[in-house]
Amino acid sequence: MRKIGLLSVLACALTVPVCAQESAGNDAATSIRALEHEWVEAQSHHDNRALDLIFDNALVYIEYGRLVSKGDYLLRVKSTKPRLDQIVMEAMTVRMFETTAIVVGAYRETEVKDGRSLVERWRFVDTWVYENGRWMLVAAAAVPLSK
Amino acid sequence: MLVALLACVGTSAGYAPRGSADVESKILATEHIWGQAYVSKDPKALGMILDDAFVNIDSDGNLQTKADVLAEVKTSTVLQFLTESMVVNLHGNTAIVTGIFEIKGVDRGKPYAQRERFVDTWLYKNEQWVSIAGLVARIGQ
Repeated sequence: MRKIGLLSVLACALTVPVCAQESAGNDAATSIRALEHEWVEAQSHHDNRALDLIFDNALVYIEYGRLVSKGDYLLRVKSTKPRLDQIVMEAMTVRMFETTAIVVGAYRETEVKDGRSLVERWRFVDTWVYENGRWMLVAAAAVPLSK
Repeated sequence: MLVALLACVGTSAGYAPRGSADVESKILATEHIWGQAYVSKDPKALGMILDDAFVNIDSDGNLQTKADVLAEVKTSTVLQFLTESMVVNLHGNTAIVTGIFEIKGVDRGKPYAQRERFVDTWLYKNEQWVSIAGLVARIGQ
């Protein structure tokens, strides 16, 4: 998520699976939480190859109220210079619907601008779908939390 | 009226929810019902198309449950609800809808207008499409 262009990431998420079908659902929820962390990690290293494996080709992403495709997203990660920003994942909830999962959570972003640290909190919702034997991110969106 | 529309959106047994213009038009019709619920202040119609586990994030980042959204509809001040640029992406029994809505209304005597982008996740469940998640963002936010 997390804003394109971040460099360092602290991923210390608290996660709570909310699941009707306990066992299989918990396994899937664990996989999805791991993928959420992989996403942040891959982005922090500008690893487009890893992101390509996580994102479905039809991914839709909303950031700052703009619609961004997978291609746009990867292009921007590739072309963005590393910055001294930091993202800390906060609580995350995974809701399982068999082969679809909804992740709702929040993260705190610290942006260094003109030598000053600016902190903003965001809330996000991600949709994952199990297709061709793996979980793929098909939609993601985040909005800043009002202060 | 809205309930009658919902009956048209519902599907018969054995319906395959996979990639067709027919499915897309059904989902878009349901999106329309959602918007009109705010104009008619009809939580009953909306209650039928939101899953019990539905969760929404509004443009201020507030987390809303199904009950929160239904309560919001009851006290809606929206007079006009228009949608544009809606696109449906199908992934088996899941559909992602993105689009823009423009609402106009009057709140405490003051007219207002808002234009926001949304993303909704729909799931084909018990032979009908229900929304399981949504997010609304101010354009340019």
